[in-house]
Amino acid sequence: MIGNIRQQASGWLVNVAIAMTALRTNLMRSILTTLGVMIGVFAVTLAVAVGSGAQVSVMQSINALGSNMALIFPQPDTGEGGRRSFDRGRLTMRDARAIQKQISGIDDIAPQLRSNIQLIVAGRNASTNAVGTTPGYGKVSNLVAENGRFISEADVRSAARVVVLGPTVARKLFGDFDPVGETIRINRAPFTVIGITESKGSSFGNDNDDIALMPISTMRQRFSGDSLAGPDDLQLLFVGFQDGISLPDAKREMTKLLRERYRVRGKDINPFTIRTTEEFMKESAQVTGIFQIVLVAIASISLLVGGIGIMNIMLVSVTERTREIGLRMALGAKRSDIRNQFLVEAAVLCVIGGAMGLILAIAGGTALTVYADFPVPIGVGVGVGAIIFSAFIGLLFGGYPAVRASRLSPIEALRTE
Amino acid sequence: MALVETQDLVKKYELGGETVRAVDGVSLSIERGEYVAIMGASGSGKSTFMNMIGCLDIPTSGIVRIDGIATSDRDSDALAELRNQKIGFVFQQFNLLARTTALDNVAVPLIYAGLGTEARRDKAKAKLEEMGLGDRLDHSPAKLSGGQQQRVAIARALVTDPVILLADEPTGALDSKTSEDIMQIFESLNEQGITIIVVTHEAEIAGHAKRRIEFRDGKVIEDVVVNNRQKVSS
Repeated sequence: MIGNIRQQASGWLVNVAIAMTALRTNLMRSILTTLGVMIGVFAVTLAVAVGSGAQVSVMQSINALGSNMALIFPQPDTGEGGRRSFDRGRLTMRDARAIQKQISGIDDIAPQLRSNIQLIVAGRNASTNAVGTTPGYGKVSNLVAENGRFISEADVRSAARVVVLGPTVARKLFGDFDPVGETIRINRAPFTVIGITESKGSSFGNDNDDIALMPISTMRQRFSGDSLAGPDDLQLLFVGFQDGISLPDAKREMTKLLRERYRVRGKDINPFTIRTTEEFMKESAQVTGIFQIVLVAIASISLLVGGIGIMNIMLVSVTERTREIGLRMALGAKRSDIRNQFLVEAAVLCVIGGAMGLILAIAGGTALTVYADFPVPIGVGVGVGAIIFSAFIGLLFGGYPAVRASRLSPIEALRTE
Repeated sequence: MALVETQDLVKKYELGGETVRAVDGVSLSIERGEYVAIMGASGSGKSTFMNMIGCLDIPTSGIVRIDGIATSDRDSDALAELRNQKIGFVFQQFNLLARTTALDNVAVPLIYAGLGTEARRDKAKAKLEEMGLGDRLDHSPAKLSGGQQQRVAIARALVTDPVILLADEPTGALDSKTSEDIMQIFESLNEQGITIIVVTHEAEIAGHAKRRIEFRDGKVIEDVVVNNRQKVSS
C-alpha cells in the first residue's frame, strides 16, 4: 500500500521532471506563456486584496465611530413609505434625555450640533468641521484627549469658550508647539484650547483627525442658532450601548419611545431616522462585496486570456512532440500517463506564472498600502489560494491538449516526422 | 504454445477512395527463442504486420496472440502494459529522447512499469553496462555515435526483460561495420533466449536470422528456416 503510494508519488515527480525538461527546451516560449498567467493571477489577486482592503477600510471607519452604537438623525425615515405627518425631521435635547433615562443598556449618549468653523491664531488659520457635544461624546466614539482634557459637564453648563482640537487641526495651527492652554479665535471669538484628541487615522481619504470639539451649548449660542428650527433641536445623536446589548432590540425600543413622544400613529412616517453601526456594517459589507465581485470578474478576464495562452501553447507542444508521445506509448505509457504528463506540464507552467503573479501582487499591494494609504491585505490564504487556483487553471486549459495527446494512436504518433 | 501467433490477420486502409490491403490474411506462428527476419520490398506490408504484433496498430480483422493473450479483446491500457512487459522495440531512427541522458532514456519504460527512482536507475545502469556503455550513462544522444545510440535503444528495449525484441530496420541508419556490431548483439541476445523479430529489406541483415519470412502485397510468399547462418562477406 505504502509502496504503491510512493510509486504514484514518484510517477508524478517524474512527470514534473519531464515537464521541467520540456519547458527548459523551449525556454522563451515557456516564459512568454507564463507571462499571461502571471498577469492574470496578479490582476485577480490584487482585485481580491483591494476588495477586502475596501472592506477592512469601511469596517475601520465604522469602528472609529464607536462599535456598539445607534445614530439618530432628525430626518423623516421614508424607508418603508407611509403617510407623512411632519414637514421636517425632529430630534431634540429632551428626546435625548428621555432615551438616556428610559432605554436600558445605554453606556452614554452624545447629542451633537455640527458646523464649519474658521480657526485663527497668530496669522495662521484653518477651517474644520466643528462638533458641539457633551462629555459623553468621548465615551461613545472611543475618543480620548491625548493631551489636556476633554469637554466637561461644567463647560456645557456654562457654555464655556473652550475647544478640543484634532491632531490635524492642531498641527495646522501650531505646528509642533503644544497648544493646550493657548487662545485661538473662532469666528472672531476667543477660545481656549483645552485638549488634543488622540489620532484616529483616516478612512477612505477622510481625515478623522481634522476636527474640533466644543460644548454643545457654546455651539448653539455662537454658530448654529439660525440653522435650527427650535432652540432645543439636535442635528445628530449618538447613543452608545454597553457590550452585549442587542442593537436591533434597542433600536426597536428607541423607535417606540420616539414614536410615542411625537405621537406617530400606525404606518405614518417617523420624523427621525435611527441607524445602528451593525446596519452600517452589514450594508457596507454588501456594497464592498459587490465591489469585490465586479473587480474580480474584470480581472478574471485577463486570467482567462492567460489560460487560453496556456491551451494554445500546450496544443503546439503536443503537436511538436507527437513522435515522443508515440515512442512513450510504444514503451508502455498508458493514455493516462500521457495525459498526466501534459497536465503536469500545463500546471507547472501555470504555478510558476501564478507564483510570479502573486509576488507582483504582493509588491503592488504593498505599494498601494504605503503610497495610497489604502490597506491591501494579501494574507496566506489569498497566496495559497492564488497558487492552487493557478494549478487549477493549468489543469482546466491544459486538459483539452492533454486529452488530445492521450488519444493519439501509437503507430500514427510514431510515424509522425 | 506459440509466443506470437496470428490468424488470418488483415489490415485495410482507405487511400484516395481505394481500399489498400496492407496485410492480407496472414497466419503464422513464431515460437519462443526464434530469430526471425521479416523481409519484403517497401509497401509489402512487413512493417504493418510488425506494428500489429507489437500492439501498436489495431488489425482490421483476424487475431494476434502474444504469449497466449489475444490482443483484440484488450483495451488500450492493457495493450500498453503488454508492450511494456513483453515487447521491446528497436527503431531505425533509434527514437531516443533528445536532451535526456542515456540512463534516463533507458529508464523510461520502467517509469511506466511503476518502478521507483532507485530501482529505475539501478536496472537502467545494469542494462547499459551490458551493452558496453557503462561509461556513457550521463551522455545525451547528441554526444553518442549512431552505434552507441542504437545500443542505448537496445538497452531501453530490454530493460523490462521482455520476451520479444521487435526491431524495425535496426541498422538502416548505421554504416556496415556498426551494423555488424548490432547484429552481433542480436545474436547473443537470441542465444540468451530472447525471441527476436527483425524487419529488414537487407539480405545481409536477414542472413543472421534463423528463419526468413518474405512478404509481398500483404501476403507471406516465403517462410523458410535457415539452418546454417550465412556470414556476411563484406
